[in-house]
Amino acid sequence: MSPLDISPQRGDAGDGIGGRPPRIDGLAKIRGEAAYAMDQPVEGLAHAVLVTATIAAGWVRGIDRTAAEAAPGVLLVLTPGNTPPLHAASTWTGEAPPTSEYRPLEPEIRHVGQQIALVVAESLEQATEAATLLRVDYEAAPFLADFTVPDAGEGQDLPPLTIERGDADTALASADIRISAEYGTPREYNVPIEPHGLTARWDGDALTLWEPSQWLDGMARNYAEWFGIGFEQVRLISPYIGGGFGSKALALPHGAIAAQAARMLGRPVKLVLTRPQTFTAFGGRAATRQLLELGADADGHLLAIRHRGWQETSRNGLWVEPLNAATALMYEVPHLSSRQRVVPVNTVTPSAKRAPGENPSAFALECAMDELAYALGQDPLALRLRNEPGRDPHSGKLWSSRRMREAYAAGADSFGWARRNPTPGAMRDGPLRLGWGMAAGTYPVRRSAGEAMVRILADGGVEVASSTSDMGTGAYTILAQTAASVFGLPLARVRVTLGDSTLPRAPVSGGSQMAGLMTGAVDKAARAAREELIGLALNDPRSPLRGVANTLAVAEGRLIAPRGEAPPLPIAELLTAIGRDRVEALRDTLAENGLKPEDRYRAFTTVSTMRAPTDGEYSMHSWCAHFVELAVDEALGSVRLRRIVTAFDAGLLYNPRLAESQIKGGIVMGIGQALLEGGIVDRRHARVLNNNLADYLLPTHADIPPIEVISVGEPDPHASALGGKGVGELGIVGLAAAIANAVFHATGKRVRDLPITLADLC
Amino acid sequence: MPPTAHAAAPAAAPPAALPQGSPVPNRPITLFINGHDHVVMVEDRTTLLDALRERLHLTGTKKGCDQGQCGACTVHLDGQRVLACLTLARQAEGSAIATIEGLAGADGTLHAVQAAFLAEDAFQCGFCTPGQIMSAVACIREGHAGSEAEIREYMSGNLCRCGAYPHIVAAVQRAAAALPSEASS
Repeated sequence: MSPLDISPQRGDAGDGIGGRPPRIDGLAKIRGEAAYAMDQPVEGLAHAVLVTATIAAGWVRGIDRTAAEAAPGVLLVLTPGNTPPLHAASTWTGEAPPTSEYRPLEPEIRHVGQQIALVVAESLEQATEAATLLRVDYEAAPFLADFTVPDAGEGQDLPPLTIERGDADTALASADIRISAEYGTPREYNVPIEPHGLTARWDGDALTLWEPSQWLDGMARNYAEWFGIGFEQVRLISPYIGGGFGSKALALPHGAIAAQAARMLGRPVKLVLTRPQTFTAFGGRAATRQLLELGADADGHLLAIRHRGWQETSRNGLWVEPLNAATALMYEVPHLSSRQRVVPVNTVTPSAKRAPGENPSAFALECAMDELAYALGQDPLALRLRNEPGRDPHSGKLWSSRRMREAYAAGADSFGWARRNPTPGAMRDGPLRLGWGMAAGTYPVRRSAGEAMVRILADGGVEVASSTSDMGTGAYTILAQTAASVFGLPLARVRVTLGDSTLPRAPVSGGSQMAGLMTGAVDKAARAAREELIGLALNDPRSPLRGVANTLAVAEGRLIAPRGEAPPLPIAELLTAIGRDRVEALRDTLAENGLKPEDRYRAFTTVSTMRAPTDGEYSMHSWCAHFVELAVDEALGSVRLRRIVTAFDAGLLYNPRLAESQIKGGIVMGIGQALLEGGIVDRRHARVLNNNLADYLLPTHADIPPIEVISVGEPDPHASALGGKGVGELGIVGLAAAIANAVFHATGKRVRDLPITLADLC
Repeated sequence: MPPTAHAAAPAAAPPAALPQGSPVPNRPITLFINGHDHVVMVEDRTTLLDALRERLHLTGTKKGCDQGQCGACTVHLDGQRVLACLTLARQAEGSAIATIEGLAGADGTLHAVQAAFLAEDAFQCGFCTPGQIMSAVACIREGHAGSEAEIREYMSGNLCRCGAYPHIVAAVQRAAAALPSEASS
């Protein structure tokens, strides 16, 4: 298929699924009316400030609270010495806790920035001042600053990530062309512009939390277990989330201590992390290192990959960033050996940042493919096409859909890749050297059950409700579109309520699974409500349509007899006639995911029932191809992006306008990863030095070039009920490699450690 | 405090300050916000941002960093964009303060910049959006919306982690075209 055959966008389907309406939550956001968690007015609020450890390892021998407690307005000072333990909670994967107690303020210190005290006062200013008055007596102990220090060692093997396919060592030894290189990524931070925080209020044994959440039911379970109360006694409210990117899915230590303070005080407590605290109160992406050896025959057919990965974790928690996630499935490779080790150091436990696993995996693999292309004297795109696998080389299953060739074709065509002079440094614009680089990316289709309520109202409008959340993904809008499609209604007649744990259940909005599973749940509930409505119209003795028609359709808020047996009947008139004020249906998709009703709680409050992309007949993934042009000023060592074209296959796009925005957002975050972002560890103290937004550099307006995104996806009926695949994480995967490859093309310098900075290019 | 107080203090000793832990007086001030006077109790150290958010419940203005680094708290003081987290509430006394809540017309009509943000999908999570919009209104008024490159430069104080930048630039261009009189003034 030539790129000309590919329609870059689905047709405009109006307000239904596949249409491009603007965000329905947009008006509230542009007016400043959208009430995020920290915006909620709560009567009688007290303000808390967190105090954190300034040493990397050791013990808090004692904290002198005298001055702080005497400071004006101070209500409560919690330290390890005066804070009773909570119950330990089971993990987000559903495993029982190893201990019975959980201490949100521990005397043992394992990383700089660990919370050691909480000061609560009448005002934020008072709490902030009083927090400076604590005198902490530490007993310091030796520490490991990061995984590059010699004492950190090689860490522990992660056997579940071992892959031995064929005989990689022998195949490498006999390969015509071999490359071997080591790639590194630093600690990266999620940095949503909304800092983490919460307001906690107790009413007897009932706990209400206003806290930004990518997973209301999972976090509510965690709080319930910490405080030994029922799940139904916790209400978590999070109608809007100021960005999360993986970091707002779990209940965190600062949430525990704030809720505990609220209970001890008998007053609502609001705690917002300071921006520096957001670098240590929860983890970002683990620092990683990968050693990759690729072997190919003289034509460029890959024969073998040998992959060794290392990543950081903390001294007291295991986070796994699967570094072979892309390595094992991007290309046709008969021989693959992959191992991964995890190195504990004195840092906060790393966690999920956009595309955990696939992101660093693709960075190394896609740079290595570029290196192999140059070693072979081949075009990097041609090399990829030569090794395009017909089925998943890891599981052996067929792809549910893999429109990678179409993505390469569409991206290359729009970018003009054919005009590229492959010689490094050969393309110039005056004194600047131009670099054209490309790379591929992928993200798996994860699936979980969802649940939704759809309610047809007396005025013919429709309500949709679920505890899922919208952190900018477009959940409000696409779920409204789903219902609008079923009822043939304009979007303005659909109201969507999300982000409240008392609503029907939803699993984590993470792993790019929300849109697929929640459109499926809403579609199912909407169809059920529609069937019930039609049943009432056909069968209720008071229905004007009873006995008039055998079947009915619903469109534009009216019941329509297919052969014109009766004039269209507005839903409102039917409901009045039959004495109902609503028709509603609550449906879940447990059965569609192989689950039973008794799995319901576990399915929505843990990830233990999340299905792998190869669970079933097919291997299911989204795909993308990035093409990047940049300019390097060699005198300054500066890199300026000029344009980016990304073509992607994420199946059907429920709302292409919003999906394109999200893909572009992933690309922008990838630009940061490639050129700007990285935690700088002061190894003398195991501190992240750049723990603020002036020193941890995020991309700004001035860093971002024109970005074109092209959807080449087709509906994938295996991936989800309505045919979409994951979008949220896809755009970032492979982008940093495309930039690194473009930098090589511009300069001949192969930079294998991110971020690529002036120091690498001068 | 007279402006010379700091300069007059000897280098070896910090200027006289209240001892730590001393009561800090709460005093009423009047802030003129979005065309209305608001009397609010603040301490001298209360920032304009905390006065708006915590004391007046005008929460459209967001706190992203509290260090003047992200732009989420951008408001206008006498028509100039300022960071509310780096402005003391008392500094804003006597000035006309404009926040996102006052941008639309009294009848609810959206400001051209607001309408353009909606049309261009210039936000995702929406948290930085009030600051982006307030910055964009000023950017156009300052005459710095002449080209994409100029808009990028003059909007770079406002971070967006969702990466809506290309759409924000498009929105500013669209609004600037709809506001010719402001752009040329």
